[in-house]
Amino acid sequence: MNSLIPPSNDAGTPLLSVRDIFKTYVQGEVETEVLKGISFDLFRGELVSLLGPSGSGKSTLLSVLGTLLRPTSGRFTMRGIDLTGAAEVMLTAFRNRNIGFVFQYHHLLPDFTAIENVMFPAAATDGGETDAIEERAAMLLARVGLGARMHFKATKLSGGQKQRVAVARALMNRPALVLADEPTGNLDRESAEQVMELLAEINAESGTTFLISTHDPDIAARCHRHITVIDGRIGETPPFPRAAA
Amino acid sequence: MRYEFKVALRYLASSKFQTVLLVGGVGVGVLIFSFMTALINGLTQFQIDQTVGSIPHVVIEPKEREPRVLPSDHSGTEVLAAVQRGTVQREQIRFWQNALETVENDPATRVAVPVVAGNALVTRGQVVEPVSITGVRPEHLSEVAAIAPAIVAGTANLDLDGVLIGARLAHNLSVEVGQPVVIRSDRGRERTVKVRGIFSIGIESLDERVAYMNFKSAKALLDLDHGISRIEVKLKDLDSAASAAQAFAGATGLKATAWPEKNKRLFDAIQGQNSTGGLIKFFAIVTIVIGVASALLLTSVRRKPEIGIMRSMGVTKGFVTKVFVLQGVLVGIMGALVGAPAAYGFCALLADVARRPDGTPIIPVDPAQGNYLAGIALATIASAIAAILPARAAAKVDPVEAINL
Ligand SMILES: Nc1ncnc2c1ncn2[C@@H]1O[C@H](COP(=O)(O)OP(=O)(O)OP(=O)(O)O)[C@@H](O)[C@H]1O
Ligand SMILES: [Mg+2]
Repeated sequence: MNSLIPPSNDAGTPLLSVRDIFKTYVQGEVETEVLKGISFDLFRGELVSLLGPSGSGKSTLLSVLGTLLRPTSGRFTMRGIDLTGAAEVMLTAFRNRNIGFVFQYHHLLPDFTAIENVMFPAAATDGGETDAIEERAAMLLARVGLGARMHFKATKLSGGQKQRVAVARALMNRPALVLADEPTGNLDRESAEQVMELLAEINAESGTTFLISTHDPDIAARCHRHITVIDGRIGETPPFPRAAA
Repeated sequence: MRYEFKVALRYLASSKFQTVLLVGGVGVGVLIFSFMTALINGLTQFQIDQTVGSIPHVVIEPKEREPRVLPSDHSGTEVLAAVQRGTVQREQIRFWQNALETVENDPATRVAVPVVAGNALVTRGQVVEPVSITGVRPEHLSEVAAIAPAIVAGTANLDLDGVLIGARLAHNLSVEVGQPVVIRSDRGRERTVKVRGIFSIGIESLDERVAYMNFKSAKALLDLDHGISRIEVKLKDLDSAASAAQAFAGATGLKATAWPEKNKRLFDAIQGQNSTGGLIKFFAIVTIVIGVASALLLTSVRRKPEIGIMRSMGVTKGFVTKVFVLQGVLVGIMGALVGAPAAYGFCALLADVARRPDGTPIIPVDPAQGNYLAGIALATIASAIAAILPARAAAKVDPVEAINL
């Protein structure tokens, strides 16, 4: 499992440093201030939950941190690189190499097989499905328990299986950070637990940092630390039953 | 590009029905394009053949003599002079062998035909009819006029003692094949020849007033011992007539006229139908652009979430753009490869089947002139251009918005 480990050369300093992030959506005349000054740090190897009531701004925050959405103001750096004002082309390349996404919906490419989906983030930027890429994708699929379903069309997999393929895809380029927005939100309890188990294991094995938004206390309980957003600000984390260590 | 290609192919393969429709649409566009090209070119050829017989592409004639105006010494006074063309010397090409050789050796030339022409009277018994004599070498007859296929009696044989005349003239003279007639030229020379063949071209003036003779005997008859009347040139490429004429004029010092100048009305008519055909071809290509653009635009909308997720993975806008442009190019190539053979088959069928009882085609379409490569190239380019707009739309997809769909 050594190949799961992302390169680490700046241990000690935060992987992600978020300072005073504001985000206001503008729709014509209407302005909605969603993030109102968010600040926190994430360190390498952390498994962190992102909590908060519906509409509090969790998805917005994850989009900003994932460089999919520009903050209205504030700064955030990842691996020491300031991403706030970076050019779009640079952000695209950075995302490809450093950030993995898992969404509530799996968003697999329906016309591609499981392994093709996993290979995609590497193949699309490295000029094709090389042997090395295929090898790693097969390894990741085996790791998420789908070694026997590698060549299934994405549409031929169950919901839980699809989400596990999505997890493997997020890990393809050895990202330092995986942002997961309610990754179990669409799954039945058993599949949800399987997926969460997987995320926790991969975090332990590889030291990949995870920030996982969820409404599910059981999922949150598996995390080491919790960040709660209430009405666009960092708030108190309410008490909930801790999982057994 | 390899991976973009794979993704584009996969997308086309996944929406088979749409792809088949698109390929069919492009194919029809190419079919219309090539059919129109084959039709216009065939029609042009047909008109040229029909209206003027096989007209020469360039005619080389003696230069008109510049009449000299003698200078007057009444300087300061205005001189009014009426200038008349010289009639002292006959117009003919002297040293014609040199000019002929020059023209024959030009790479644009297919064949160069020396022609002697003049007026004469044909006499048989008491009947005298005026004719214009055209003298060519036997092997050149078919280049000068489509006589052989129009022969209704005898053969198109141009031996030294023979003449070919039109059906009306034969009727007026009451001659039949094998019978002799006396021809007296306007130079006063006379010769008795036998009618070897009678033709009916269907144009009265030709069938009544034209006679074809052997080059040598016509030369003697018309008193052109050292010259010829003109050189008629057939080019390899009809469209190069103007430039070829200029080149011939420069090389020989003679007057060279390209066919559009000699046949202004025919040329204008052909130009007219060419531009109509061009317009139809243009719309065929526009149809391809609209069809491909709208289908791919729909695809880009339908695949918005996928494109969004790709972008979130750090796939570049360039990649997305290429995937869509490649879809356009692939559809274009496939459509063209379907449409071009279909066009050829359609044209060949029309040319073959749609004929009047006498064998002439109802639609003078020429399958060999469909310009299929141009159709294939244009359809491919048009489809690629059509894909640009959808590709840009796809590349502009906002991942956050797309993922939340
Ligand atoms: N594109 C947008 N334009 C305008 N307002 C938006 C947009 N996206 C989100 N919002 C608003 O921002 C607020 C925060 O939305 P967000 O999706 O970040 O919340 P959330 O914490 O993820 O909620 P949930 O737990 O229900 O997923 C909501 O009030 C939402 O209506
Ligand atoms: Mg959300």
